[in-house]
Amino acid sequence: MAKATTTGAEGSALLRWIATSGLLLVVAVPCLFIIIQAIFPDIGSGSLAAPFSLFFRTLSDPDLFGLAGNTLLLGVGTVFFAALFAVPLAALRALFKVPGAIIWDALLLIPFMIPPYIAALGWIMTLQPHGYMEQVTGINLAGLIFSVPGIMIIMGLNTFSVVYFVLSRTFETIGARYSDVGRVFGAGQWRSFWRITFPLAMPGLAASLLLVFAMSIEEYGTPAALGRRIGFDVLVTGIENRISEWPIDLPGSATLSLVLVGMALVAFMIQRWLLTRRDYRIVSGKPQASDKRALGLWAVPVSLYFGFITFLATGLPILAILATALSRTISGGLTAENMGMDNFNELLGKGSEGLVALGNSLALGVSTALLAGLLGAITAYSVVKGRGRFRLVLDALSITPNSLPGVVVAVGIILAWNQPWLPITPYNTPFILLLAYICILLPQPVRYATASLHQLGDNLESAARVSGSGPLKAFIRIIFPLILPSMVTSMILVFAVASRELVASLLVAPIGFQTIAVYIWTQFDQGSAGLGMAMAFCAIMITTLIPLGLIGLLRWLSKGQVAGLN
Amino acid sequence: MTNSSQTALSIHSISMSYGANKVLDGIDVSLEAGKVLGLLGPSGCGKTTLLRLVSGLLLPDEGIIEIAGRAVAAPAKGIALPPEQRGLGMVFQDYALWPHMSVAKNVAFPLEMQRRSGAECRDRVAKALDRVGLGAMAERRPSDLSGGQQQRVAIARAIVAEPPLVLFDEPLSNLDRELRECMVEELSDLVADLNLSAVYVTHDHGEALTLADHVAVMRGGKIEQLACPDELVSNPATVAVADFLRLGCLLPADRNGDGWQVEGTSVRLPDGPVASAKSTLLLPERAMRLGSEGPAQFKARVLRAQTRSTGHALTLGIEGTNHLIRLVSAQRARIGDLIDISYSPEELRWFPA
Ligand SMILES: Nc1ncnc2c1ncn2[C@@H]1O[C@H](COP(=O)(O)OP(=O)(O)OP(=O)(O)O)[C@@H](O)[C@H]1O
Ligand SMILES: [Mg+2]
Repeated sequence: MAKATTTGAEGSALLRWIATSGLLLVVAVPCLFIIIQAIFPDIGSGSLAAPFSLFFRTLSDPDLFGLAGNTLLLGVGTVFFAALFAVPLAALRALFKVPGAIIWDALLLIPFMIPPYIAALGWIMTLQPHGYMEQVTGINLAGLIFSVPGIMIIMGLNTFSVVYFVLSRTFETIGARYSDVGRVFGAGQWRSFWRITFPLAMPGLAASLLLVFAMSIEEYGTPAALGRRIGFDVLVTGIENRISEWPIDLPGSATLSLVLVGMALVAFMIQRWLLTRRDYRIVSGKPQASDKRALGLWAVPVSLYFGFITFLATGLPILAILATALSRTISGGLTAENMGMDNFNELLGKGSEGLVALGNSLALGVSTALLAGLLGAITAYSVVKGRGRFRLVLDALSITPNSLPGVVVAVGIILAWNQPWLPITPYNTPFILLLAYICILLPQPVRYATASLHQLGDNLESAARVSGSGPLKAFIRIIFPLILPSMVTSMILVFAVASRELVASLLVAPIGFQTIAVYIWTQFDQGSAGLGMAMAFCAIMITTLIPLGLIGLLRWLSKGQVAGLN
Repeated sequence: MTNSSQTALSIHSISMSYGANKVLDGIDVSLEAGKVLGLLGPSGCGKTTLLRLVSGLLLPDEGIIEIAGRAVAAPAKGIALPPEQRGLGMVFQDYALWPHMSVAKNVAFPLEMQRRSGAECRDRVAKALDRVGLGAMAERRPSDLSGGQQQRVAIARAIVAEPPLVLFDEPLSNLDRELRECMVEELSDLVADLNLSAVYVTHDHGEALTLADHVAVMRGGKIEQLACPDELVSNPATVAVADFLRLGCLLPADRNGDGWQVEGTSVRLPDGPVASAKSTLLLPERAMRLGSEGPAQFKARVLRAQTRSTGHALTLGIEGTNHLIRLVSAQRARIGDLIDISYSPEELRWFPA
């Protein structure tokens, strides 16, 4: 080992151990069991017999090729539609004076708040035969939605906001800094857009599209809700199938998980590489006010276009959810007599199943946020302070979950904690959900904490150490309070996602234990779409309004306090 | 009291490298209690590194560091006390005040770490803040203070626990000149009043000479000279020290038969050391006068003249050479004039070439 060159800069050994053992428990154990299970099919009965026998059989299974191919197809198709929706909007937004630009921006944030499976259910209600679309316009588009391109379009509508925001900022920055230079040298506005702005924005565009790719191959709800009906299975649904339906195929699900993780990992690595390349930095600056061109006569069609896409991405799914939630019966259709609060009354009635599910999800969301936030802060601190090989391992463990889809985390947790020889196990208790959520969401607080740790001067901690405080106390008294504001923001995001997570909840929730997502999913499956959608509506409200309120409160409280942070 | 407890700091043959880069090489220093050691040197010479070694934020590769007679770092014996066990005070270049705590909380922190009672803390914090003239600002946030005030808070935090040794790492370099000059005086009064033992790092020789009882001039990881300010100015040990302190004009000289002259010219010099044939000569600024009354003279041409608040700053070229002299004179001189400069030969300093 390299000699210790520092005492003061090393940080607390206790925190290092907490970070290491936390990451081992939450991240390494599930990963390890997936790999072991994939290699030793009989590990469940304590046998290491026939290593790799099923591994290669699964890998050469034509099923696998079908699933992997469908996954790739879905990913690429979603990326295509996301780009198709996002690029023109972003270019218009960046280069022209779009009327109500701020409002469109705000509205386009909404897709982040609607879980994709809820949006997909909203689309089903709208476009299915005799759905709202047919009732209102008489047009039946059921053929479109229950098709592979239909799934891609809906997933594209769920994800294109990511691309839109990255790209419009990028276009604006580059436009102001470089494209104007091009115009000075005689290129017209369009020429300078195509020759300068667009090529310079490519890394940012590619990185955000890769994010969309990763999101879409990891998504369970939309392909499960729409694809099942037309026999379109992807890796995620294939894995879920193998682990939840008879005959249960653990080795198969483990092997498929490895394939899926491989794909996500590749996307994630390319994205990281794109974002850390030097030439991306030129576009990471603040957008500057530049003179955008007026739209003139085109103002109306452009506004209509913004309105149309925004309506498809946000208004339509929410309206469909609300309509279903307010309908006494689905068959009653969109008539005034059929509307009422019956579903909400039943959902929120005293002692109802729905209330229990809401309570469970809120409790789990809060616990996940607190624990993931704490573990994330400690991990980021240990990585930033760490040295040598130890630091590499910790860093790798903390970013691994970035490429672990929820379904894979669930498989790993089942494999790890459902072993018959374990004397005690959190399996079949709500704690297992906590483990799953923390693993899935850990990268979020780690990223926030790392960013804000890098902003703190080194000397703040040194000053505490010289003043007589040990490393642990220096963390508690100095570092943690200083990164707390940004940690709270990340914890709020964790809460919002954890409280309505779908696939891991479906797979690892103890029998009879309901969460928001499980409730919605089962109600919809059992034909009580109204109840399910009422819950969906409440979930969207609760999990967006609570965080938004908290963030606002936080901003207000921390005014002045964190002004001293550079 | 034993002899060792009167030594605030002693450093024996400390070395330290970053990888293959030896940043400190065999440093020896010791400091009596109640005295201030100035560490002076150009950027990158290892001043901050030495200070971090003393504070425990870094560990040396070899050597021994003792604070108030107690070994705090001695790799050979496996001693490596962490910073919090060394009982020091430290003032950082960037202040390093904690932005989430009030001024009073910042200053109280070292006392809290010693588990002092609340009443005692309040008392001593108020006293320390009064000392630096910030008694009225105890409840403010550091971010609401000016740079000079922030640095005063940092100083109060460093002295509040009355540590046996206070470390200053270029505490004034972030302040503008006027404030710096005024703070140097305040600091030197404070240090004298409290009878502090301190190590004061700076690259400004004015600060070092004002504040320190002993000054160590560092260069390339080594101590070039360790002496009191008077000695340093009148007897610089090497050309490098004389150059860094800007003591005057450095001239290459060689012996030509019966006497010395500026190398490559016919400008005559008084007698120097007899041993060698070549030498570098320091002609201290404070030894020179305008006029021909002194015991030895030479002629110089006025190249530049600026009016300053303290007199006229002249840049002169020694006639017949391209060596420059800078000096401040009460008399006015016109550009292009040829004037006499006189000096006393015993104030010349000769260094082996
Ligand atoms: N963490 C580090 N890793 C490698 N080299 C370092 C590190 N910190 C300092 N150095 C090197 O050690 C040498 C001494 O640095 P140090 O900070 O002690 O200089 P200094 O005298 O304080 O300079 P300044 O007046 O600019 O503050 C420099 O050459 C520097 O490049
Ligand atoms: Mg320094």
